Amino acid sequence: MAKLAINKKTLKNQKTLILMGIPFAIYAIIFCYVPLFGWIMAFQNYKPKDGMWHSKFVGLGKFERLFSDDTFLKTIRNTFCMGAMNLVFSTIFAILFAILLNEFWTLKGKKIIQTVSYLPHFLSWIIVTGICFDVLSMENGVLNQVLVALHVIPEPINWLAYPKYFWWIVTFAHLWKETGWNSIIYLAAITSINPDLYEAASIDGAGRLSKIWHITLPGLKPTIMILLIMNIGNVLNAGFEVQYLLGNGLVQSVAQTIDIYVLKFGISNGDYSLGTAAGIFKSVVSIALIAIANAGAKAMGEESLF
Amino acid sequence: MTKTKSIAALSMAICMMASMAGCANNSGSGSGTAGNEPAATTAAKTENNNAGGEAGNEGGETTAASGDVKEFTAFFAVPGNETNEGNDVQELIASKIGAKCKMTWLTGQTADEAVGVMIAGGQYPDFIDGSTGSQQLIDAGACIAIDQYWDAYPNLKNFWTEEQWNSVRNEDGHIYIIPQFGNRWMYDTETTHNDEAFWIQVRVLEWAGYPKIETLDDYFKVIEDYIAANPTMEDGTPNIGYEILSDDWRYFCLENAPFFLDGYPNDGCVIVDRDTHKAIDYNTTDTAKRYFKKLNEEYQKGIVDPETFTMKYDQYISKLSTGRVCGMVDQHWDFNDAEVSIKSQGLDDCTYVPLGIVIDKGIEEHYHSNPALDVSNGISITTSCKDIDGALKFIDDLLSPEILTLRNWGIEGEDYLVGDDGLFYRTEEMRSKANDQSYINQHLCSYSYFPNYGGMDHDEKNAASPQYQPKEFYDSLSEPVKKCFDAYGVQTYVQFLNKSGENAPWYPMWSYSNNFTSDTPHGLVWATMADVKHEYLPKVVMAPDFEAAWEEYMGVYNQRCDIPVFLNAIDEEIQRRIDVASGN
Repeated sequence: MAKLAINKKTLKNQKTLILMGIPFAIYAIIFCYVPLFGWIMAFQNYKPKDGMWHSKFVGLGKFERLFSDDTFLKTIRNTFCMGAMNLVFSTIFAILFAILLNEFWTLKGKKIIQTVSYLPHFLSWIIVTGICFDVLSMENGVLNQVLVALHVIPEPINWLAYPKYFWWIVTFAHLWKETGWNSIIYLAAITSINPDLYEAASIDGAGRLSKIWHITLPGLKPTIMILLIMNIGNVLNAGFEVQYLLGNGLVQSVAQTIDIYVLKFGISNGDYSLGTAAGIFKSVVSIALIAIANAGAKAMGEESLF
Repeated sequence: MTKTKSIAALSMAICMMASMAGCANNSGSGSGTAGNEPAATTAAKTENNNAGGEAGNEGGETTAASGDVKEFTAFFAVPGNETNEGNDVQELIASKIGAKCKMTWLTGQTADEAVGVMIAGGQYPDFIDGSTGSQQLIDAGACIAIDQYWDAYPNLKNFWTEEQWNSVRNEDGHIYIIPQFGNRWMYDTETTHNDEAFWIQVRVLEWAGYPKIETLDDYFKVIEDYIAANPTMEDGTPNIGYEILSDDWRYFCLENAPFFLDGYPNDGCVIVDRDTHKAIDYNTTDTAKRYFKKLNEEYQKGIVDPETFTMKYDQYISKLSTGRVCGMVDQHWDFNDAEVSIKSQGLDDCTYVPLGIVIDKGIEEHYHSNPALDVSNGISITTSCKDIDGALKFIDDLLSPEILTLRNWGIEGEDYLVGDDGLFYRTEEMRSKANDQSYINQHLCSYSYFPNYGGMDHDEKNAASPQYQPKEFYDSLSEPVKKCFDAYGVQTYVQFLNKSGENAPWYPMWSYSNNFTSDTPHGLVWATMADVKHEYLPKVVMAPDFEAAWEEYMGVYNQRCDIPVFLNAIDEEIQRRIDVASGN
């Protein structure tokens, strides 16, 4: 990347742009950087009555506690696995969906499907988990009824009671909610591919499938890469609501994510310092993941973020 | 400049003199106000709260009429209802004991603000209840030490037991406040059991012929038989035998029954041995194992709802609301919404009655407990009171049997009638009048923030006040519930359970464990215990092989939770509470 030369002239020319940017800079400072001050709590034995100034410093004690806690190590695993499953499947499904939609033969049908498919994005998780409960219910849940009718299973299963199903349920809930929404950006990328390429391919005798394989997918590659890098940083944000709402005692060993751990120990059990330490850990790992993904993309000669 | 200053100084001096004169007048003639405008809120919640005495500012007439009636002033830092000038019951009491009190209540301020203003001014009414500002008042030296004077006033001195008084003592060893509430004469006469129990539907009991149900085995036997005979409700919805709510903190419905089954009250986190005063972990007792084994059997038989452990609270409430669920363990306040909904659908036979289930016959159950004494606030006599003995006598007289009946029931013949058997009752007209605020203001005066008894009246026949009179409560019940009550010979829900006894000095221990934070060693153990139990208790109940599952659970439990650390912390707190109660 070429070094940007910043001089008085450019500053003057872009005065309006800079002014427009200021509110966002202030926003970022107030809501993203100022709260970082609270990280001090992670190195203290923070007590609300003593406040930040008078609580006792314990160095890395809270972090030691954190990593000697089996439960926390499990939550790292859970968060990472659910985040990764979510990332992989949502990317694949969004791309597939966008391509399929692009191949749809009538414009009207395409529009209707697109609208319907991204509507679930606007539902809150509490509603989506409510729907999940209904679908998975033993008494009159659709899933059990269908599977029993097809003789796949002899009797209804209480899906949410078994740890082995939990990650899949969460992943599927994410797919149902977000696939339509995520595909919008890929659809936009597809429309920006030069139609001449398709024409040329047709003349060369390419069918639908080979056009998708040789033109659409390579055309999408930069978009996919950028989104992948950005989303890798979000892997540890695998979620809070959906696991919190769908989880129960039986599956807690696979359902508890870092965010739930922070809530449980930081707020419910009053160990604010431990909660903060867990939060810091999450942020640090997220930054590391982005850096790694970015470096990987660069090494492969692809688009990169920085 | 100098002139303005001196004028200001002069006017200040005049103001101060005027106010001091006002103060001197205050307690002597009793015509001063309590420093706050009279409250006129309509916040009357219970009968307890809706009376308030008024002995007029322009009380020349009344005072003159009744000769040497003393008039005190009081301020209560809670919203309340002013009573009218010349209130009937207040005047009647004044003519009997020669004193009355003008009471003012909190308006438009918080308790701490009102109290703070008074402390800053250094002037108080004769009586005060600072509510959340009570400790401020004591710290400011505004209250007199009651225990220096009280030997001549037995009703007051014996209002609480010595143990209970000890827990009210300030750090300097004196007693400055008198907690007014939660005292029971003879025994508790609450009509509904708001706490935890094994609940069972009225229709199940009716079908089974109202059997005596004492043990866990009895309880599930009745439900099993009922389900076998009545697999569905009338409209075809399948009946559910038993629900176990285990959503987040509400998993007490699953986990804490073992101490009840062993006959201990709800200390929440442990069993406290009555002799050794040592804490016992109820999770690992034989009773716990037998209880979960029973749940496991019932789960395998299909009596326990297979979905029960994945349910959220709202799903649980909606299942209960259909009236399909025969029984469960829960706190009544936790499923009250469901019961309201059941009643609104006219399914009164699907409402629940509490059962005091124990593990083996012969164990005495303690499901119903008296509310714990709240020692944090109460009524005090202030340093502004010029007639401390008169004030103490006033409180003492208000606790005499005749006056108590006047305060709580009203005037015989006007507010209640006495049956041939000596039981008080009210006509429909009296009941509706007693709910009419303007009638209350003119007629009734319960001196609600002065010490008062719940439980029984001093005649030992009637309840202390109408809402606790069993007959009055019984008359409001629906037919199926009345039939059930008749069959068991009870008139209230509470009578299904043993009468609550005196609370132990350490009760309830949950008020200690609820404040644990996981940055203390015992708090961490407590959090880990909850973590393990959340996961393994449902597993144990669902396991095809109970013994193996229990062994696995116990293995994890003992390995992950350092129980002695937890029990030691509890032991220390038990000892501390015992010491406080015995005055050490």
